Order: sequence, then C-alpha cells, then structure tokens
Amino acid sequence: MHKHSGINCFIPPHMLKNIATKGTESQKVLAIDTLKISAQMRGRRQALADFSAAAFRVASGGKERIVYDAKNGSNLPGTIARREGEAASADVAVNEAYDGSGTTYDLFNDVYKRNSIDANGMRLDSTVHYRTGYDNAFWDGEQMVYGDGDENLPVEERLFNRFTIALDVIGHELTHGVTQFEAKLMYSQQPGALNESMSDVFGSLVRQYQLAQTAAEADWIIGKGLLTANVNGVGIRSMKAPGTAYDDPVLGKDPQPAHMKDYVNTISDNGGVHINSGIPNHAFYVTAIELGGHAWEKAGQIWYVTLKDKLTTNSKFQDCANLTYQVAGDLYGAGGLEQQAVQKGWAAVGLTVGGTPPPPEPGGCLAALLRLLGAAPAKS
Amino acid sequence: MEVERITFERTGGFAGMHNVVNINPRDLPEEQAKALLELLDELDFDELPEELKNNPPLPDQFTYKISVETKDGEHSVTTGEASAPEKVQELLQMLNRIARKQAQQKR
Repeated sequence: MHKHSGINCFIPPHMLKNIATKGTESQKVLAIDTLKISAQMRGRRQALADFSAAAFRVASGGKERIVYDAKNGSNLPGTIARREGEAASADVAVNEAYDGSGTTYDLFNDVYKRNSIDANGMRLDSTVHYRTGYDNAFWDGEQMVYGDGDENLPVEERLFNRFTIALDVIGHELTHGVTQFEAKLMYSQQPGALNESMSDVFGSLVRQYQLAQTAAEADWIIGKGLLTANVNGVGIRSMKAPGTAYDDPVLGKDPQPAHMKDYVNTISDNGGVHINSGIPNHAFYVTAIELGGHAWEKAGQIWYVTLKDKLTTNSKFQDCANLTYQVAGDLYGAGGLEQQAVQKGWAAVGLTVGGTPPPPEPGGCLAALLRLLGAAPAKS
Repeated sequence: MEVERITFERTGGFAGMHNVVNINPRDLPEEQAKALLELLDELDFDELPEELKNNPPLPDQFTYKISVETKDGEHSVTTGEASAPEKVQELLQMLNRIARKQAQQKR
C-alpha cells in the first residue's frame, strides 16, 4: 500500500487540486502524489490534463527545461543531463532536446503569447536515449521521449537516425502536449488525424521560425534528417506533397493522402491518424502559400486559435475546415484575403467551407433531357 | 506448445509505418528460436488477454499485434508499448530484433 494512500479516502479531487496548487510544500507533495495515483487509475493522460500541470511542476514564469538521459533503459524520466541555463553537454542528443524544446517554447511564447504547454509556465521535460534501437519519439502525457534510432546496428544497416535530429519532431511532440491541454482531440480516426496534423503544423512552423523561412522557401518536410542515407526518402511526411516523402524497399512507400477522395479507412494506427493527417496538413500548406510571407504569422495564428478555442474532443476534418474559416473571419475580417486563403486550402483537399456553391446539379436543357428519358425524377 | 508460425505486426509510432513479418521458428538460429519459444511458454501466451491496449491511446506510441499459430489454432494479442507488462516487453524486443533482421534481407 502506498504510504500516502490515506489522503485518497477523504479528499475529493477538486480539493486535492487546490491543495496541489496552493498548499504548503509538504501538502503539495501529498496531494500531488494522490492525484498522480488516481490519475494512473483513471487513465493517466486525460486525468493529468484535467488539472493544470503547474500543480506538479513549479511554474517558473518563463522558459524552464530539463533534459534527462534514460541511458538506454525504459524508466522515465531517467537521470538529469542538463538543466535550464546550464552549459551545453558533450552529448549531442541532450543539446538537441534542450535547444529544440527551447525553440518550440519561443514560437509559442513569442508569436502566440502562450507560456509553455499548459499556458502556465509548465516545465518542459525531455528524455533522450530511451531504450536501444528505438525508432520512435512520443509524448507520454507529461514529457517528451526520444529514441536513438538504429544506433545498435552497423552503419550500413541503419534506417533511422536519433529522433532529436529533426527540430520539427521536437515541436511535434510538444504540440501533442498543447493539444492535450486545449482541444483534447481524441487520438483516433479523424479527431486523431487532426491531433497529428496540429503536431505536424506547429512542428514545421517551429523549424520555419528558426530558419526565418517564408512559406515559399520552406520544404514542408516532417522529419528531415531522420532517415539515413540508406533509405530512399527525404523525411517521414511531406505537407507540400503528402505521399511523396519516401519510397523504399524496406520501409515501403509514404501512405499519406492529400485529398478526401483518397482518405484511408483502416483500423491500424488508431484509424490511420498518421496517414490521414496528410489531408489537413496539405490544407494548411495551401493556406500558407496562398497568404505568402511567414506561415507562422497569419496561417499559424488562425490554426492556433482554432486549436485553443474552437476544436473539441470529437472534431472532424469538416469541423476544422469550418472553424478555421470562421476564425480567419474573426481575426482578419469576413471575406478578406485570409478567409479566402483558408477556403482555398480546404478546397484543395476536397472540403468546402463558407458557402461556396456546391457542384452544379444538372439543370436547364440537360435536366429536361434526362427527365424526358426517364433518368431523372420530374420536378415537383 | 508446437509453434508453427508467428505473425508480428507493428503500427503507429511517430512515422506511422506499418510493418508485418511472418516468423517460422524453424528458420531462426537455434539459440534464438529456443529463447523465443521458452519466452512464449513462460508467458503462457495462449492465456494472455487479446487486448492489452492503452485506453485512451497515447500519441505516437507503437501498437503491436502478435499472432501465434499452433496446430491447435491461433491466438493473437494486441498491445500498446506502454501497456505491455514487463515480460511481454521482452517478447516485443525479441520480435522487433527478428523483424528488423528480416526487413534488412529485403534490401
């Protein structure tokens, strides 16, 4: 039995949250412990999102990062490798995680006026060197976790480099945290693909922001540098041309669609969340290109406000299309260039917003002819 | 348990790639086959629940499906990486290594 379990019996969660935020240090520890245990029982991720992360991470009021080293094990978070303000490490993965989470913080803070993942100064924790031969990175509900790719194989057999190598991967994982605190998009089917797409959008914007690129200059590749020279591919996904990032005998071909007509119905990958995200990804790309200039400015602002204030757990692609269109009107004026750009973005992937007339039904002579032939019902 | 075939499927992850391999224990190096079959026995694989998934699913984590065919039938277990118990983790690591080796041979 857990030594603090007594607290669990008497105090309702809302009160625990209050204690966790406002109590004395020892009260905070107790309350947080209890909340964490119940969070684990209820399904850790959502429960943790229910209360501000500031309750268990001291709000610093600014950028605060810690990078941990799992030393090829699976225990999280691992041992501390670099704290905020400390000099660079000799370990390149540690520095990439540190710098990358910093640049991501900067984009959200400087451009969208958001103080960290929870909008309340939550500390950014990252763990590098997770397991061995681990071809992945993820957000576990509390922190970012990065594998080293195929570091355990001979160089000529490696397909993946370390996952911190691509800044947009870091931005992608952190944005999962933002989504967890805001729209809470369910990680399945279309809401899950929107969740993925938001991570790709802001992941790509973090890299564009760092490189000071315009939409036209950016490559719109997600995971550039992640695939080794042994793979025929430029990255994991392309927002500019979904489905073209890689085509390789071992990894297969990039399966992303760029249009609703090619939407992939599948049960794997939680209903194709990493596949169908190509559709909203491309809509964002087209919107940004239409607007020109820096994509993080107007297009990013429209998507950010939509993620923060409009989307909900069950939102689908059409909802996102309607809401980004609405937000573009709210922010920059109805019928303006921004709203038109959003409309074009979604039209490019086969979704109609803003009362664009639907494709014309046969009318006039053709309809009369069809009625004459008995192929269409008579007009009532 | 006389294992005829193991099908190992990995989906999801940041890259969202779909990998499936068929493993015939007789084609593996003797040591590896022995370790694999012993681990399946130790796990009582046939008795494992069909679903060990995270609910709700976690962003960018892998989902695995392991199907073991014997002459008596087939049993499949679907698991998320975080939701797998430690012994199943061991099995996943072993199968990942074998799958990777097989994929390499395609080149």
